Amino acid sequence: MTVAFAEPATVAIPTLTTARLRLRAPGPEDFEAYAAFGASSRAAGVGGPFGRADAFRNFCALIGHWRMRGYGRWVVAERETDAPLGIVGPMYPEGWPEPEIAWTVFEAAEGRGVAFEAAQAARAFAYGTLGWRTAISCTLPGNTRSEALARRMGAVEDSVFQHPDGFELKVWRHPAPEAL
Amino acid sequence: MSAIVETERLILRRPEAADLPFYAAYYTGSRARFVGGPVDAAKAFEKFCAMIGHWAVRGFGRFVFLARGEARPLGHAGALRIGDGGPAELTWTIWDGRDERRGYASEAAAAARDHFFAATGERGMVALIARDNAASRRVAERIGGQLDEEAASPPWSPGAVTYRFAREVAR
Repeated sequence: MTVAFAEPATVAIPTLTTARLRLRAPGPEDFEAYAAFGASSRAAGVGGPFGRADAFRNFCALIGHWRMRGYGRWVVAERETDAPLGIVGPMYPEGWPEPEIAWTVFEAAEGRGVAFEAAQAARAFAYGTLGWRTAISCTLPGNTRSEALARRMGAVEDSVFQHPDGFELKVWRHPAPEAL
Repeated sequence: MSAIVETERLILRRPEAADLPFYAAYYTGSRARFVGGPVDAAKAFEKFCAMIGHWAVRGFGRFVFLARGEARPLGHAGALRIGDGGPAELTWTIWDGRDERRGYASEAAAAARDHFFAATGERGMVALIARDNAASRRVAERIGGQLDEEAASPPWSPGAVTYRFAREVAR
């Protein structure tokens, strides 16, 4: 057997900076915060709560999505401390009706407009850098905080997505790039 | 650990987007019955994303292997650590039944195991195999795995039997 060391097969994940936040590549150091979120009742808004093994796989998949699609979700970090506050960005899982802007914030970041600030940056990236002509966001029934954010982003109710796992997601349509 | 591993007949490299249709065909088909499948296309995509992302989180992972000079991927083999501690898992899978019985899984798994030991300095690995997956158990035995009847299977592989690999037996 011969072993040849090659360059890491990674995708360059860009960093976005906003007034208070840094949207950056997820890394191993973020997993504890992600697993804590996954185990909490807050994860009900994204189909959880889920155990640590599932959280680990989901976290790995979050990174792998970048390689598959060329874009993906960032860890939203506090600019001052780099502490992870949530997961926000464009994503397009297999079976999804179309690409979406997704947002999740951890408990410590609740009520400070973190998701709004990050989602605005993510949408601007999708429209400006990725060239999307439209964008959706999906919310689970009863996730009123997420619905409120969709409205604050200017999105309107569009349709219902029947998820293959047997539940429904409300689809919100964002304003087109030229309307922003 | 970032590498391409070469064996006599095979190239092992990191998973790439173009591998997904081959991986998904495996995971949505009956051959995946030994690993919790079959699953739908959406779940196969998630699992493939996770296989790629594992490299970034752990620094090691599972390779996709191909016969030298051919473009069609044959399967995956390599190291996996889902839980926080304990030995890494050694996994191997032939995606399409027509590629079985050629010794590819043994060749890929042995190379991935030796590479893992050399690159990480760790001393042991385990393979968790469905009790009735006779073909995969033969691979474990062929490449020097020691059956551990006492080992309990983890929650993500219920009912699996454990084979242990020690660095000392790696060649």
